[in-house]
Amino acid sequence: MEHIYKHKKKLIYLGILPAFLLYLGFVIVPIFISARYSLVEWNGFSPPAFVGLENYAEMFGNNVFWRSLKNNMVVVLASVLGQVPIGFLLALLVNQKIKGRHFFRTIIFMPVVISAVIISLVWSMVYNYNFGLLNNILNFVGLESWVQNWLSNPDIAMFSVAAVIIWQFVGLYFIIFLAALQTVPDEILEAAKIDGAQGWKRTLYITIPLVKDSILASIVLCISGSLKTFALIYVMTNGGPSHATEVMAIHMYDNTFNGMKFGYGSAVSIFIVIFGIVLVTIVRKIFAKFED
Amino acid sequence: MIYQVLNISLDYYYCIKKLGGNKVINKRNSLIILIVLIVGILFTSSVMAQETVELEMWHAWTGQDAFASEVLLPKIEEFQENNPNIKLKIQVIPNDSYRTKLRTQAAGGQIPDIMQTYPGSEVQPLVEAGLLMDLEGIIDYWTDDLIPRDSLSAYTFNDKVYAIPAKVNYTHFAFYNKDMLEEAGYTEWPETYDEFKVMADALKENDIVPISLGNKAKWVLQSIYISTIGDRLTGIDYLEDVLAGERKFTDPAFIQALDVIKELADKEYFNKDANSLNDMEMRQAFYQKRAAMFFGGAWDIGGVIETAKEEDMNVGIATFPQIEGEVAPKALSGVTGSAFSIRSGLSEAQKEAAIKFLKFFYSEETYVDLLRTGSFVPAKVALPDDISPQFKDVINLVNEHQIGPVYDAVLPINLIQTINNGLQSLTAGEITSEELAQEMQDNL
Amino acid sequence: MNNQIKKIDKLKKFFTYAILIFFALINIYPIFWMVMNSFKTESQISINSFSLPKSLIFSNYTKAWNAVSLGNSFMNSFIVAGISVLITVSIGSLAAYFISRFEFPGKKLIYSFFIFGLLVPIHGTLVPIFILMRNIGLVNTRVSLILPYVAFNLPLTIFILSSFMKSLPKAVEEAAIVDGAGYLRIFWSIILPMSRPALATVGILNFVYNWNEFSFALVLINDNDLMTLPLSLSLFSGQFSTDYGMQMAGLSMALIPIIAIYLLMEDQLVKGMSAGAVKG
Repeated sequence: MEHIYKHKKKLIYLGILPAFLLYLGFVIVPIFISARYSLVEWNGFSPPAFVGLENYAEMFGNNVFWRSLKNNMVVVLASVLGQVPIGFLLALLVNQKIKGRHFFRTIIFMPVVISAVIISLVWSMVYNYNFGLLNNILNFVGLESWVQNWLSNPDIAMFSVAAVIIWQFVGLYFIIFLAALQTVPDEILEAAKIDGAQGWKRTLYITIPLVKDSILASIVLCISGSLKTFALIYVMTNGGPSHATEVMAIHMYDNTFNGMKFGYGSAVSIFIVIFGIVLVTIVRKIFAKFED
Repeated sequence: MIYQVLNISLDYYYCIKKLGGNKVINKRNSLIILIVLIVGILFTSSVMAQETVELEMWHAWTGQDAFASEVLLPKIEEFQENNPNIKLKIQVIPNDSYRTKLRTQAAGGQIPDIMQTYPGSEVQPLVEAGLLMDLEGIIDYWTDDLIPRDSLSAYTFNDKVYAIPAKVNYTHFAFYNKDMLEEAGYTEWPETYDEFKVMADALKENDIVPISLGNKAKWVLQSIYISTIGDRLTGIDYLEDVLAGERKFTDPAFIQALDVIKELADKEYFNKDANSLNDMEMRQAFYQKRAAMFFGGAWDIGGVIETAKEEDMNVGIATFPQIEGEVAPKALSGVTGSAFSIRSGLSEAQKEAAIKFLKFFYSEETYVDLLRTGSFVPAKVALPDDISPQFKDVINLVNEHQIGPVYDAVLPINLIQTINNGLQSLTAGEITSEELAQEMQDNL
Repeated sequence: MNNQIKKIDKLKKFFTYAILIFFALINIYPIFWMVMNSFKTESQISINSFSLPKSLIFSNYTKAWNAVSLGNSFMNSFIVAGISVLITVSIGSLAAYFISRFEFPGKKLIYSFFIFGLLVPIHGTLVPIFILMRNIGLVNTRVSLILPYVAFNLPLTIFILSSFMKSLPKAVEEAAIVDGAGYLRIFWSIILPMSRPALATVGILNFVYNWNEFSFALVLINDNDLMTLPLSLSLFSGQFSTDYGMQMAGLSMALIPIIAIYLLMEDQLVKGMSAGAVKG
């Protein structure tokens, strides 16, 4: 049996190798180069000047940066508490034998695919203060006091935008959960039914534990995606008004490509990565505890 | 070279000998054939040695705007047709992505041979890094007669010019609905700012938004509003003086300019959601008659005239009314644009080709054609007869004014960001004018 | 008793449909809005973008197709996205297989190594990747896009596939081993087919990401002939004005292949495992 194990190890490493190499070359190496840039002051045109950790000091002393971190946390929380449960719920609903399953499956996923330009144009009009759909509905049902300046009010703009982000990516977790639900064998579900567990009880005690890995995976994806979120916010509000919706990725982009501070921008990138590692590690530790 | 020619000739000679056989190739004929061959090859290779020069060219004219599709792009094509030995490898990059791409590639050490550059602090880093060729050697071609050297200031550094612009973009015009103003009791555009405020109040009474504003992109309040209002109150040399340390942002004149904008916002003359609307939505409110006016730039003129015709609107074009305390009452902010720069380090042949292109592209004819599309030009050319009467009116309006700096064409990048974000905060009520002025001064 | 159950069932059905239809409506509206506006003239759109078109104008489509050679861009996008997806899913599933179902030294490290990539914001790597490509001499080629697309999608692919493959019961493998099958054989004939839903998921996600990717394409492609779809579509915006009609038409056309690919993959998404494999 020995030789099988020897081959096994070689085979394993060989199997992982192609992915490993490509990933190393085009993701890891660039990030390390970026880390090097975070230690210089550079406008992209003239030669860079080494400044050590000055960029990081500047970053941590910058109010706008802290605001962007706070904004990112709003997105993370909104996503984890919004996208994952709603995606799961929708997957459960569509997994039943109902009419139009195909249609619903496609439609729910659609927003993930639509260009950020369209989403921002349409939702900007929903949120429009004067003739937007939202305020019109509120006025119509007599809730005038709830009418807001959804995207112009710096206090609530971030939440308005977060709602759109939730809406756009629910479909992503939807199909992840849908795939996961396929692995729950029908026999187990039938057996549970016979034992008297139905509806929510069954979902809670049988289905969810069986797809636990997918739930953890989704939460990790959620967090990592939320920390990187850029495209939609950039097109919708450009980080405004006055930094109210500026997230770290926009802060980085703005300083790098508009402010021409490549070094500072790289520092923000590195921070995003490290902060993400910390968050994800915490979440995985929490889940590991649950596993027992 | 001679060696190669002889070689080829001999090859051909032997071929012919083989084909023709020894009867044709006697001593006399051989000599003739050989001479003909050598001459022929020398001739063709010299024609081919008028090599093709390749120039990599970048610009942002995607063809959406009339001045690009009707004048500039055809001009490039014309040049290519007339110069088959100059090959232009053109990359068209939309305006919004242009800077990102240029900066990324420049950071990687690669910039195109001839590229569109943006004025002021946009092109300055390129100049300072020595990436661009100065045009002093050929600038007389333009400054002799066509373009006064002053007009090239946005591209001049250390007394050297680095690009030739095609247009002047005035960034401040008031487009107003004459009928709506009449209903509020005003048959003419108000002359003073105080009168303007009374009129705006009257419009508000009638439930009309006085000014439609879409400041999502942040540069609107800066390029369109504060540039002209600031120039008027502080004088047009102000920004230069501040950058040289002779004056400060905290000077009362500048704070007064900020106060004007704050007042417009505080008195609710703007629509409430101004900071989240883009320019399309800003114009939409005007076209849908929900707002009596909007402030825009020269680029809006064509669209407004056309849509007004379609929608049967009576539109007037004016500039901001006179504010008390103005030092330069006729100031109108404007900046040159649509300019090409040449990379430094080109080969002699490439340099020649690039200069040839510049001279062809930025010619008197081009400027006259641009005028026809409703664009202002930095060149002193005679107005063609066939421009629209409305545009003629605007030209007359502009001629009554004196050009002043646009803030983001003069200020360094970090100050541009400060004032762009600051104006959003100012109108959102988050900071005061004094605080913003102080922030600008601190960031200097 | 039966009546009560029937009533609850009916209520459940009602709520199910209500929620689904609600979501369907708000999800469909942006697409509807986009397509609707693609049939309007420019001034119609700027007057009121919510109104139905007065008449169906097709010129936006023909203009958009010709103005930026959309046919060419479609092809480029297909090639780049398609090849990237194939490569990513093949080497990704192989790596995920070994990571999820075997024990070996360094396994946790390698897994975390890949997951790390989920956190990297791409704009932070634009300049480094450009410099890298320039040094390799691949700038302005389709390969220069395929490499980062594959690399950046590997974390997600491996993440989803490994969490899926981990949950497949050991039983299926053990039977095959007893029969003397090698690990690659098991991978190809047993694990992969059983992972169809997950493969479809990552296939769709990869394709969508590659199809819509803009930033790398902007920086790495210099030739008009090699432009991918997002690049070409961005050409509808000028410095001062945007041709919304053409943009809507272009975006509508760009949506069609994605919907097609999704429908293709979606079938696989819900082909459950055969009961037989589990029983064994």
